[in-house]
Amino acid sequence: MMDIWSQLLQGFATAGTPVNLLWAFVGCALGTAVGVLPGIGPATAVAMLLPITAQVEATASMIFFAGIYYGAMYGGSTTSILLNTPGETASMVTAMEGNKMAKSGRAGAALATAAIGSFVAGTFATIFVTLFAPIVAEYAVKLGPPEYFCLMLLAFTTVSAVLGQSTVRGLTALFVGLALGLIGMDQITGQARYTGNVPELIDGVEIVLVAVGLFAVAEALHAVLFEGRLVESENKMSRVSMTVSDWRRSIPAWLRGTAIGAPFGCIPAGGTEIPTFLSYAAEKKLAKGSNKAEFGNKGAIEGVAGPEAANNATVTTALIPLLTLGIPVSNTTAILMGAFQNYGIQPGPQLFTSSSALVWALIASLYIGNVMLLVLNLPLVGFWVKLLRVPKPQLYAGILIFATVGAYGMRQSAFDLFLLYAIGILGLVMRRFNFPTAPVVVGMILGPLAEAQLRNAISIGEGSAWVFLQRPMSLTLLLIVASVLVVPHFLKRRQVTQV
Amino acid sequence: MAQAQSQHGQTLVGAGVVLLALGLAAGAVSIPSDAGYAGVGPNFLPWLVASALLVCGAFLVFEARTGGFREMDDETFDGPPYWSGFVWMSTGMLVNAALITTLGFILSCTLCFVLAARGLRNSQGKTTPGLRPWLTDLGVGVLIAAPVYWLFTKFLAINLPGLTHSGWL
Repeated sequence: MMDIWSQLLQGFATAGTPVNLLWAFVGCALGTAVGVLPGIGPATAVAMLLPITAQVEATASMIFFAGIYYGAMYGGSTTSILLNTPGETASMVTAMEGNKMAKSGRAGAALATAAIGSFVAGTFATIFVTLFAPIVAEYAVKLGPPEYFCLMLLAFTTVSAVLGQSTVRGLTALFVGLALGLIGMDQITGQARYTGNVPELIDGVEIVLVAVGLFAVAEALHAVLFEGRLVESENKMSRVSMTVSDWRRSIPAWLRGTAIGAPFGCIPAGGTEIPTFLSYAAEKKLAKGSNKAEFGNKGAIEGVAGPEAANNATVTTALIPLLTLGIPVSNTTAILMGAFQNYGIQPGPQLFTSSSALVWALIASLYIGNVMLLVLNLPLVGFWVKLLRVPKPQLYAGILIFATVGAYGMRQSAFDLFLLYAIGILGLVMRRFNFPTAPVVVGMILGPLAEAQLRNAISIGEGSAWVFLQRPMSLTLLLIVASVLVVPHFLKRRQVTQV
Repeated sequence: MAQAQSQHGQTLVGAGVVLLALGLAAGAVSIPSDAGYAGVGPNFLPWLVASALLVCGAFLVFEARTGGFREMDDETFDGPPYWSGFVWMSTGMLVNAALITTLGFILSCTLCFVLAARGLRNSQGKTTPGLRPWLTDLGVGVLIAAPVYWLFTKFLAINLPGLTHSGWL
């Protein structure tokens, strides 16, 4: 315990230097901006900026990226409350009540409860990370290749088969990602695979390229093809403040949201959809009398406060599997993992011993960043709202310039720009036909690692795959994978027959 | 009509996945299977991915032919696609890819910006005739591309191609 405390203080000392504070601030501001702007999210923003890893020192850039990561969560709620357009899934639930509140003239209160709730949940979840990440890491050191492979299998399964609507589309996306990860040199034997004698492909396809292509370019192409006639309306702002009754209704909702969200981030199941919906359902059920009548009508403040807190708690604790196991379960954490890899750092249990200064500075910066974001989003919210008025043509065309920087800056190759366009087309088709994108990115970045773990595991088993069943931990994990695949279908079927 | 059309598209997507699987399998043939101590060689995952995609692709075609993909979101943007805007934007991106090393980052990206913005303006149906919108886009394009270029080359020391070697253009 004392150990954690002194390391955390050390982390604050590193994160608190003027230069690192500046990086954190720029990250938070940029994150809020990309959260507010439609068409660009935290995964895209971090991916486009990955080339800076070539020059900027590891701690500074990880603090910067982390700032973008959770800054975007704060900014995203502003858009979903003020704009009547379907946003990203993370803020969809916030939009349900937030939009109604804004329509009945309470936009300010909705924005305030979202920002303060994000702060409360973010801070509690960071405490959770501080206390539990080292413990998980200590335990994870004991895992061998068979267990690791099973954990990755679990991540693949949940991210592709469970989270989306359709198992077959999720799995297709996952295997497309794995196929992209295959391109280039095999890690163990050095064998070139699927390079087609194109020298640029020997090093593999950059994760930046795939992320920027799938998100930014696909988004721009989708906008030009389908969104031209879309009429957006903006809700009127009101003073950002909360009444006594707002506070009384928000505080328990924030705490419940945090409690629901935090555990979800820790398990390699990813996604904020489930915790935010659960929190919304809980708040609706617990509300009484006139408060309950506000749900779906005038807009209930609990319905914004709870899900927003759950969202931020999940996003923050999702750093635990990333930092301690090296397993990303969302688009953004997958890109963050790519950033670590650019420094030759492999996130995983050794991270807490081999790069402890970096990890603790990163955790300390989460505390600092949450305070910065509260300031950025409460008094200064009027400034961010102006971003909603950036005209769409300039916005998307500008995104393409930044996409070029990200894709070209990584390897200085014009070939990558053609590849970027091709991946953009792939992303457009996937979006149009409702394929999830997270499995592609997670599959691509985790695929090569899973392959290496698989081979190591089978070497341990002296060439036999039985090794997975002989070790209790890996057997348990395999059973979890199987149940995760089977149980949801079973439940669905029961629901259908009951109705 | 729209239903039939989307089923047609879905069949094509499924068929595309099948084709991708076959392509991966064809490529996997030439990867050696030498497993060494590992038990599984470098060709194991390629074969696994190819077979899995084949199954997925076949299943997608099956779904498309029997009433369409299951559990789709309601499409919010269901108007007809605006292909001419798509062509403007695609041209912008491909021209950028082709010319970036010759024209340099700033000019090439500005060109991409102008072409893409034109497509987006047209898609909104708000294009005013004359030179003015072109000049606006040109100006905004330079105002984004130039500072980005300077920020990356001067401040972050990341190599981006220039028209000259000065690092300013």
